[in-house]
Amino acid sequence: MTATEVRKPARAGAKPRKAPLSEGKRQERKLGWLLCAPAAIVMVAVTAYPILYSFWLSLQRYDLKFPDERKFIWFTNYVTVLSNGYWWTAFGVTMLITVVSVAVELVLGMGLALVMHRTIIGRGLVRTSALIPYGIVTVVAAFSWRYAWTPGTGYLANLVSPDGAPLTERASALAIVIAAEIWKTTPFMALLLMAGLALVPDDLLKAASMDGASWWQRFTKVMLPVMKPAILVALLFRTLDALRVFDNIYVLTNGANETSSVSMIAYNNLMKGLNLGIGSTMSVLIFLTVAIIAFVFVKLFGTAAPGSSDDGRR
Amino acid sequence: MNSKLKWGVLDVIVVVFALVPVLWIVSLSFKTTATLTDGNFIPREWTFDNYQLIFQTDQFVRALINSIGIALISTLIAVVLGTMAAYAISRLDFPGKSLLVGVSLLIAMFPQVSLVSPLFNIERNTGLFDTWPGLILPYITFALPLAIYTLSAFFKQIPWDLEKAAKMDGATQGEAFRKVIAPLAAPGVFTTAILVFIFCWNDFLFAISLTSTEQSRTVPVALSFFTGASQFEDPTGAISAAAVVITIPIILFVLFFQRRIVAGLTSGAVKG
Amino acid sequence: MENRDRHPRRRRARARVLAAGAAIALLAPLAACGSDDEGGTPVLNLYQFPVEKMQDVIDTCNQQANGAYRIVYQVLPRTADDQRVQMVRRLAAHDDSMDILGLDVTWTQEFASADWIKEWTGDAKSQVENGTLAGPLASGMYENKLYAAPNNTNVQLLWYRKDLVPNPPATWDEMIQDALELKQQGKAYQVLTMGAQYEGLVVLFNSLVASAGGHVVSDDGKTAVMDAGAVEALQIMKKFATAGVTAPSFSNAVEDDVRLAFQTGSGAFQLNWPYVYASMQSDAPDVLKNVGWARYPGIDAGTPSITTIGGSNVAVSAYSKHPDQAFQAALCLRSAASQKYLAVNSGQPPSIEAVYDAPEMAQAYPMKAEILDELKNAAPRPRTPAYQNLSTVVAAQLSPPDQIDPERTAASLKKSIQDAIDSKGVLP
Repeated sequence: MTATEVRKPARAGAKPRKAPLSEGKRQERKLGWLLCAPAAIVMVAVTAYPILYSFWLSLQRYDLKFPDERKFIWFTNYVTVLSNGYWWTAFGVTMLITVVSVAVELVLGMGLALVMHRTIIGRGLVRTSALIPYGIVTVVAAFSWRYAWTPGTGYLANLVSPDGAPLTERASALAIVIAAEIWKTTPFMALLLMAGLALVPDDLLKAASMDGASWWQRFTKVMLPVMKPAILVALLFRTLDALRVFDNIYVLTNGANETSSVSMIAYNNLMKGLNLGIGSTMSVLIFLTVAIIAFVFVKLFGTAAPGSSDDGRR
Repeated sequence: MNSKLKWGVLDVIVVVFALVPVLWIVSLSFKTTATLTDGNFIPREWTFDNYQLIFQTDQFVRALINSIGIALISTLIAVVLGTMAAYAISRLDFPGKSLLVGVSLLIAMFPQVSLVSPLFNIERNTGLFDTWPGLILPYITFALPLAIYTLSAFFKQIPWDLEKAAKMDGATQGEAFRKVIAPLAAPGVFTTAILVFIFCWNDFLFAISLTSTEQSRTVPVALSFFTGASQFEDPTGAISAAAVVITIPIILFVLFFQRRIVAGLTSGAVKG
Repeated sequence: MENRDRHPRRRRARARVLAAGAAIALLAPLAACGSDDEGGTPVLNLYQFPVEKMQDVIDTCNQQANGAYRIVYQVLPRTADDQRVQMVRRLAAHDDSMDILGLDVTWTQEFASADWIKEWTGDAKSQVENGTLAGPLASGMYENKLYAAPNNTNVQLLWYRKDLVPNPPATWDEMIQDALELKQQGKAYQVLTMGAQYEGLVVLFNSLVASAGGHVVSDDGKTAVMDAGAVEALQIMKKFATAGVTAPSFSNAVEDDVRLAFQTGSGAFQLNWPYVYASMQSDAPDVLKNVGWARYPGIDAGTPSITTIGGSNVAVSAYSKHPDQAFQAALCLRSAASQKYLAVNSGQPPSIEAVYDAPEMAQAYPMKAEILDELKNAAPRPRTPAYQNLSTVVAAQLSPPDQIDPERTAASLKKSIQDAIDSKGVLP
């Protein structure tokens, strides 16, 4: 009997049972609330006002430069933003960057996790050096890429084309941004996946290989299912962050050639234009997009999500 | 022997891809201002000027101290609070569980650029502006969702049988937790600690909005205060040197914790 | 267990002291928020970008103040955008801990319109106006009132390689022609200037428009006006960008990229601010030997060019607790003596004409004659409180410069600029 086999009957038969509230149940509830309370209090106390304030601002026409013209305009800001070409271009760029970089990072991250976990020699060195890209201040890394890719000043520009300037063309600039993102955050994925890998019971793997499973079969049928929760967390958070890409684009191209992301134009409208109404609207729209994607992910992963009721109780 | 070679090659590939751009930054930090942009990977003229420059005033050292203190405290508290909440979420049944999980994800998802101004106002009014707690609280807040999710994922992967077996052997809930579950939770906890620490260490947006003097200014912000010799000159050498210096604590932190992520686990724990 | 509880009272007292100590340690930093008044001497917080040797100027002014006030230098981040974000955030929150502000020349209109800075009146105003060059002075005005006192100023020059081009070109066409000839001869030929999608591109555009006698906005700053001069400017930009004389990374280059590229010797011409001179002195003295400078190229032969004014002004925050002292302190900070000191030691061209005649200026500013010449007839950037909007929109549409279609771009710019001025629509 393996752990997965033990779990199956429970999942198949588990329907929400209306159990009477026993003393044990009540204790459990109290303990649950008690344990969650500090985290919940901190999170809500710090963010409740700012988030609600942003929502409220998005319903107004409010430009800091013209404080007398402030007024309540309901959803007009949303119409303005959603019918604007700049917003959709940025949206498309953001989606492109997100999808490509997350997909590549998942594959590379898994590979990196396997190497970090299983390597026989130089484990400490590999693990530490693999995590360094994630640990470097993003802006500095972005600057170093900018220098590297500028012809004349760096070592990479001339590798690709003799007298091209990859940062000045849209396609190559986007590719460079994506590459910079991948280099920087693959360790994040890899770390989460490696910790997930560490919890795959060796017995399972041994049993599977004794049953004649190939490496690939062991990987897809034993390791991946057990790692599902870790994969969800890695994918979810990496996607959320990728959708809000800012630093790399800001330093490498400053949004030239239509390489802006939605975060960049939200920042421009909010900080440069001092247009709190439009800026907040964009923030809310970014938030809704991210929320929809998170919802889809959680649904896709179903029982692997935290807080789903039938995780492992037998 | 063959598999050692195979792993060795893979190791080298990983290290090269990870470190070559880092070495580029290191090389920038050793270049003189005259040769900064000569495009050579290895500096033709080596200099320690940049490193001397950043330690000349105590501005950078002060920022380092702030960063280390704030990041460590935030990590500690976030991991503790996150562990408690994640344990409850993945093990216990209580109403409001999915609400908490949903709300914490919501908090992680809202673009932070819109939140800094209201937070700035709050902190100015409560006197937290430009203080360590003024940064620690937002860091904990925005690290908690990741902490809770990561730790829940790991608590999920720990089989229930172990806890039950320990209880049947006469252990209390607390002992069962400490002696059986906690070691299994170690990978998750240390992973979370590393991720939270790096988040706090490298954050720029909150740090620049909620600090104003050396009192609480952290390193990423201090970088934006470095000046070149004149108005438009970027102090690239100094910034690269500072970047190298501030990556060292990360390296130490990771080096210390990376082994604990994989330290002896379930091999043999689940039989049958 | 029992041992520890033997002296419960002492333990409790000790615990209380420790707790109090911890509380004080945690709260103490709160007490030192910004610099507060101490025993009578008002403390004036100066929020300004970092300038080397600024502290010397502040110390001198504090001495001269003789106890009337004490200026404290609160340094802001290095880039103009970051400085503005910091200041705007606090001004919008009515922060009273800011007294004197170091503003970029393009922020006066915006800050004044939002009632964030105080107007200069009376004696202080006449002291500022006395002897200050007209161009910089205009950059401190809003609705014909003085809101910011000019501190340092800046104009771009044409830097050229004397060994490649004996006589500097006087117009853009000449410059392009010279560059093409050098290219044919296989020598260094590039014309290096800033073309990335940012403020620098707007500065370039503004200089060309002014030199062509055109206008981008009406005089009152409320209407977008892309007249024939503006179209001509666009034509020149397009011609320049497509003539084959620019560096490959022209459309991604900012000031420092241009400076560094010129220092490596790959260019024959450079259009950049005077700060490049000091860098060349220390980083590339060999290149400097062959470098000359001249007036920024114009458009028509015979009509001198009109370039964009840069630089910074000083203003007094509307929420300052000590406005009168702040004005006095600001006067000292931008006085002729302070400007001379910073000009010689920190490379900041002064805005007071008399300072240029000082003997020390000759060595630090061999190009001061050209600078003064240009300053006498320089153009501000379009004057509207929504300048940041305008700049963002113009930079986005002009980038990359080689894809400008003069007529079409002018038409779409007119519409976008009008929207920007009215604060309508969305910024790119």
